Amino acid sequence: MTRSSTQGIPIGSVLDTVSFEVEAGKIMEFARATHAADPVHTHPEAARAMDFPNVPATPTHVVVAAHHRDQKEFVAALGLAIERVVVGSVDWEYIRPIVAGDRLTGTRRVIDDVTREGKRGGVMRLVTLETAWVDDTGATAVTQREVLIERGA
Amino acid sequence: MGRPAATLEVGQVVESRSIGPITQTDIVRFAGAGGDFNPLHHDAAYARQAGLPDVIAMGQMQAGMLAAWIADLVHVENLLSFSVRFASPLAIGQTIEMTGTVSSVSTEDATAHLELLAKSGDRAVISGRARVRIALSG
Repeated sequence: MTRSSTQGIPIGSVLDTVSFEVEAGKIMEFARATHAADPVHTHPEAARAMDFPNVPATPTHVVVAAHHRDQKEFVAALGLAIERVVVGSVDWEYIRPIVAGDRLTGTRRVIDDVTREGKRGGVMRLVTLETAWVDDTGATAVTQREVLIERGA
Repeated sequence: MGRPAATLEVGQVVESRSIGPITQTDIVRFAGAGGDFNPLHHDAAYARQAGLPDVIAMGQMQAGMLAAWIADLVHVENLLSFSVRFASPLAIGQTIEMTGTVSSVSTEDATAHLELLAKSGDRAVISGRARVRIALSG
């Protein structure tokens, strides 16, 4: 495995920053699109009965940040060929559920960038990105990590 | 006050969920919700040009379905971490079957790990793991 900081953006540096307000309507839309059944995501009274200040988002809600990002732009900034890029894995760590009314700022950094031999020959590049989603009090609510895989040309 | 955490035991198989057959409307609904407008997911001609037989769902759609299912089972406030690995694409007309098993329980910090798998027929679509807060029995 070869560690490289010459391609695209150096390890540790910020790839992009996105801010958005978590909206009840978007939570409902995302919950419906992913077949969530718990009424706390869609009914404010159900959420309040369970001591949530407002409707909580489903666990992967921060992916709605795709609305605020230009995929082609950040893939190009990483020096990746978009037609050969797939997402290999994603993980989320929850400090607390995010709820409608939260304003989140996600700062996405490159935390790893390696190349290795692919199983079917050619060199694969794996870029790991980490986004800390911070609320208006400065506290992190959720951390997301994603591994982008660029298949060999 | 709030909701009690689930009681989970090692080896326990949690209640499965099946979603499908997936339609183009399901994919478009997720595109609207999530903001992924890569034409691979809604433009069949573009997908064919890219070498696919037809459009495929976004990995984040399946990941979101898996996450929502686990949150429904354990309550969203008890989910401490969740991860997915994408194994193969999900196409229109395919049904996704999600299953999970409790792989470990820690009585020290009242948490459990679950191993999750979403399959379409015999083919793995995504695998996942979750760490959840649990209620200790007894």
